[in-house]
Amino acid sequence: MSQHKLLSLAEAVRRYTHDGIQYASGAALPVGSDAIVFGRELLRQGRKNLHAIFHCNTQQLNLLAGAAAVDKAECGFSGLEVFGFANGLRRAVESGQTALEDYSNLAMAARLLGGAMNWPFVPATVNIGSDIQERSAFAPDDYPATRKIPSVTDPFSGRQIGAFSPLKPDVAAIHVSLADPLGNAIMLGTEWSRFELSRAARKVILVADAIVDTACMRQYPNLVRIPDIIVEAVVYWPFAAWPQSSPGLYDVDEEHMKFMNKALATEQGTADYIRDYVTGYDDIDGYLDLIGRDKAERLSNSVTSFLLDPFRQWIKTPEEIAALTSEVAA
Amino acid sequence: MSANSTQNLPYTRQEMMAIATGRELRDGELAIFGVGLSMLAGYFAQAHHAPNIRAMTEGGVYGATPVGGLPWGIECNRISANATSFTNAIDALGFLVASGRCDVGIIGAAQVDKFGNVNTTGIWDGEIGDSYRLPKTRLTGAGGANDIACGAGRVVIMVTHEPKRFADKVSYISSPGYLDGGNAREHYGFVGKGPSAIITTLGILRPDPLSKEFFLDAYYAFSSVEEILAHTGWDLKVSPNVRVVPEPTPEELAALRRVDETGALRKQ
Repeated sequence: MSQHKLLSLAEAVRRYTHDGIQYASGAALPVGSDAIVFGRELLRQGRKNLHAIFHCNTQQLNLLAGAAAVDKAECGFSGLEVFGFANGLRRAVESGQTALEDYSNLAMAARLLGGAMNWPFVPATVNIGSDIQERSAFAPDDYPATRKIPSVTDPFSGRQIGAFSPLKPDVAAIHVSLADPLGNAIMLGTEWSRFELSRAARKVILVADAIVDTACMRQYPNLVRIPDIIVEAVVYWPFAAWPQSSPGLYDVDEEHMKFMNKALATEQGTADYIRDYVTGYDDIDGYLDLIGRDKAERLSNSVTSFLLDPFRQWIKTPEEIAALTSEVAA
Repeated sequence: MSANSTQNLPYTRQEMMAIATGRELRDGELAIFGVGLSMLAGYFAQAHHAPNIRAMTEGGVYGATPVGGLPWGIECNRISANATSFTNAIDALGFLVASGRCDVGIIGAAQVDKFGNVNTTGIWDGEIGDSYRLPKTRLTGAGGANDIACGAGRVVIMVTHEPKRFADKVSYISSPGYLDGGNAREHYGFVGKGPSAIITTLGILRPDPLSKEFFLDAYYAFSSVEEILAHTGWDLKVSPNVRVVPEPTPEELAALRRVDETGALRKQ
């Protein structure tokens, strides 16, 4: 029988991560949904030498790499969309701190699908013929690269295609809009590759902006793309994607996006950012104070708010969640 | 000098580039836009002459039009507010692009070469060499542009026209154009036909049907063949029929500015 899996953020990071782990972020694209607060907690607990699997860079990878906690990263898109280059990641790559292995956005999704299916490889019809195939940051002297996207023959047409290696990250922290205490989840907005990742990762932690009653999932089962049976733990953390957006719940914090990225451009700026915005809170209340209660309210007043309307009646209060969380811990 | 040549015009070079790009799109096509300026160009086409264009973004956001200005990203509130379907990457970039169903894509470039290969990965001093050494400047990587360059029926590349961006050969091919030219793409069996135009802040380049080398097809009212040659890092051939691109009409400018509500293209 299914059990409540609510866990505090600190406990989830303590229990499921370690130095050197292959860690995947479950996110939408760089400006949208991502469990950025999980990355903050990885730094609070001093995790390092991470092998980051990020379909796209987000402020989470930007922060982790800027803080020198990432040895290796695999990515499709490594910028911040209209917010520009990701300064922390960029600094880590240019200094050699982080080896960044490049793929395309379809490649990352296909590799997760391959991991989920336990395929030996995934046929590649993209990335071939470009330097994504020829150059490997993980094996820089292997040129043209023979182990990254090796050429294989299509047994039917005889044509040369590529082979992608499947991905099976040790742990994925997947950001979702709504989760129930059992680990069923609804994502508002594009799911990007979170569906495939939830099946490819060896362990899945959900980080949810809001916790709802399971009755909500029974009302909208078609929208539950991540079911409880593949989930280890559920972490409740409002504004978990801040300063990025979570459709239906809050908008992107444009001011902090720019402030954060500017800080991550230098070592000193990163240290200051960590002091103020990574170690500068003790709990959810402190975190919301850091964002600013007025600002949080402004960001919540989004043109996308109507997306949340069908689900509001099932959203649990912080007190109800706290009671359930302590029940699990006991 | 060239930097001042648009000062007295009622539009910017970026707006001219976006309108020229939008004119490449036809009504009813299945089209995919990258985030940023290419999205503005695409939605301009929809607002002006291609109302039935079937537009999507690589995140699998369908039926949406931007509200409140240039979206910060594919999942920004400015594009999530009126979608009719949200799906995923495998769907948009795989089922609809890698499959060969997508008619046209618009991508940007940090650097482009004479065969329309695009670099968005990094800047190196000279050639990279046999060992994949660290870039002097790391850029954003390929994102979905590689997938669009391989799979979309045709691709329009939008790029600011500066000598450093127009190289004889890009240092890193993030997204394939015609590779070494001629029929080099055929070896890889790409379902897409390759870039049909490079639209810049100074003019329009198109590929030679055989060699696939890009030549100058047209310049703008405010630019000239000489200015374009001076800003191109290879020996750019000029079409014997080189022409002037028609200036934006008042209707085109109005449509573009409705989409570009925050004036991203008016910042010089």
